[in-house]
Amino acid sequence: MAACVSVLDKCMFSLRLLRNLQLQNERLLSTSVCRPAPGNNSEQPPKFTPPSKPVIIDKTQTAASLRQFLSPEFIPPRQRTDPFKFSIERKDMIRRRKVLNIPEFYVGSILAVTMADPNANGKTNRFVGICIQRGGKGLGATFVLRNIIDNQGVEICYELYSPRIQKIEVLKLEKRLDDNLMYLRDALPEYSTVDPDMKPVPFSPTGEVPVNKMKVKMRPKPWSKRWERPKFNIQGIRFDLSLTPEQMEHAQKWAQPWQEYDMLKEYDTSKLEEQLLSEVQQEMSK
Amino acid sequence: MRLTLQMLISHGRVARKMGMGPQSRINMLRNILTGLVRHERIETTLARADEVRFYAEKLVDYAKKGDTDEKAMKMASFWLTEKDLIPKLFKVLAPRFETQSKDYTRIARLPNRQNLDRAKMAVLEYKGNPFPPLYPVKKENELTLINQLLKGYREERAQQLAAKNLLTLS
Repeated sequence: MAACVSVLDKCMFSLRLLRNLQLQNERLLSTSVCRPAPGNNSEQPPKFTPPSKPVIIDKTQTAASLRQFLSPEFIPPRQRTDPFKFSIERKDMIRRRKVLNIPEFYVGSILAVTMADPNANGKTNRFVGICIQRGGKGLGATFVLRNIIDNQGVEICYELYSPRIQKIEVLKLEKRLDDNLMYLRDALPEYSTVDPDMKPVPFSPTGEVPVNKMKVKMRPKPWSKRWERPKFNIQGIRFDLSLTPEQMEHAQKWAQPWQEYDMLKEYDTSKLEEQLLSEVQQEMSK
Repeated sequence: MRLTLQMLISHGRVARKMGMGPQSRINMLRNILTGLVRHERIETTLARADEVRFYAEKLVDYAKKGDTDEKAMKMASFWLTEKDLIPKLFKVLAPRFETQSKDYTRIARLPNRQNLDRAKMAVLEYKGNPFPPLYPVKKENELTLINQLLKGYREERAQQLAAKNLLTLS
């Protein structure tokens, strides 16, 4: 910065010299040279008005191209409760969201949460971890963050709308192949370690969320749950390293192929989602 | 197996237990649904008819999407075990219910089965089937005095209205 300022200075100086030379040579053509009126010399020199700051209107990101994300806890479950209960709950959720910014995140993204804690110094504690599960609907919605600190695996389940939560930051926004990463408990520790002093990775608010297609290596069996069984439908484990093909076939005995054709189990939320999304966006912009 | 409270309490469970487990239940419902699509009116126990009713209506909803839709075709080929009924579903049943959005079936109870089990029986049919109606429509006798007088009154009114329309037109 200093270098270019001095270069500018030199340019200005040389320009001024040239101008003075010009003036001396063209004394007769003084009307062509623009000079302040002689009457102004008694007044103060004109006050320096700085040029107006350029207003940057970011036209590359229109509202239409921004990623539309409806947090899953807004979608009411299929129940016999009155829809009025869900609508008043949504009002409370939006009230809380206006105070605390709850960003968009998915299972597999790395978050940092600062929570109020009366027993900690500074009265707050900060935890960084990978989100392994998002559960609950409405105001009781939770998410579980996992990290390994001092060779000890730690999982903390936070409530999104708890008044103790002061800040939620998304350090890395990404999706994984599954909706539930509970199998990280039985995976090698390197897959669950997150650096607590990690710098946030910038991500764009438009376009698709990056999907991390990583397949995780597991510790030797026994695992906490039989992740190879089709009811969990896990795509993100390298089964070929820990199971033989016979074991995989044996696990398929618990497959229920008729379940995908069972129309009773289908819950189509697309129309509900659109309606809720427009409602939430409207309320949030007020 | 973990003995959870969910296993003991069945609050909110919509699907009845039938047959020898969930697979047997789905197979039984498939067979009944195939029979319903073939004959359009079948007689079973009340519980089975009630279960199949839901699946029958959902199948018609899928058929309305058209047979180019691959999900609809997969569903149809799974639920109809006799494959000659798939074109019937898409070409006969789906156009029949195009104007309606729900309630494609009707259930009527029958006297209990005469076997030892005295099971509750019911008739399940698709609306618009070619058979005579389940509840016969009672026709009013036109030859009673009151009905004849009313008929005459209606005809007179119609004549008056026609005369009035001619006057206003001309």
